[in-house]
Amino acid sequence: MRITRAWIFLVALSAGSTVIAVSGQTGLAISLAILLLAWAKALIIVRSYLGLAEAPAWGRGFAMVLGGYMLLAMALVVMAGPV
Amino acid sequence: MDDTRNAFDDLPGDLMMWILIVSELLVFGAGLIAYLSVRVTDPAGFAEAQASLHRAEAGMNTLVLVTSGWLAALATRAGTLALTRLYLGAAAALGVVFLFVKGMEYADKAAHGVTFETDPFFTFYYLLTGFHAAHVLAGIVILGLVAIQCQRRTVEAGTAFWHMVDLVWVILFPILYLLG
Repeated sequence: MRITRAWIFLVALSAGSTVIAVSGQTGLAISLAILLLAWAKALIIVRSYLGLAEAPAWGRGFAMVLGGYMLLAMALVVMAGPV
Repeated sequence: MDDTRNAFDDLPGDLMMWILIVSELLVFGAGLIAYLSVRVTDPAGFAEAQASLHRAEAGMNTLVLVTSGWLAALATRAGTLALTRLYLGAAAALGVVFLFVKGMEYADKAAHGVTFETDPFFTFYYLLTGFHAAHVLAGIVILGLVAIQCQRRTVEAGTAFWHMVDLVWVILFPILYLLG
């Protein structure tokens, strides 16, 4: 079932980002990787949980806006620089 | 007979709920961009404050919320009224677990004297997580109401709100808790 597959991906991606963060590794690449994982999770929720996979035009629109938003967030993280 | 269709007919669920969802996403989105913008001015200070958060606990809470979203999504596809209510109840129960963990986190911060005014990081932390927790509480009430008034349309609208709460968290959590 697509919903259950989406949930499995969400659990794996959430666990992945938490493991990366608690591993103690820091740096710009790690921060950007964490945001990429968040982007993937958000897309899964929009498409599968909110059901926009069944409304492709709306799904594409949401994905584009979300993509622009996540790129802006990444740009601000890059501007802040490595901590 | 008017058989014309417009683009809104393709949206799953209720149009008014989508308007609410987009409005809420804009508010949270603006809040997180404001946070990231202020963080640019003092990344080391923000990282130091952020290090005091319990990342593993918040990560567990993320698993709780995405699992709750899964149960809510299953509720819209359940074949019987009883099963729909069971899924909605389970989703709401995990919402309560999320709030309980969040409450423990706030209590821990309060015990260490960390408040809204401690520093700019914690001002954003309390504003954004508090606003999100308020939406979780509202979502639990909505899931309860649609479980009582259990019709396909109301269940779709109620669970869509719950997925919005989920969507906000999967972006808010890494930005507030994980960015080093």
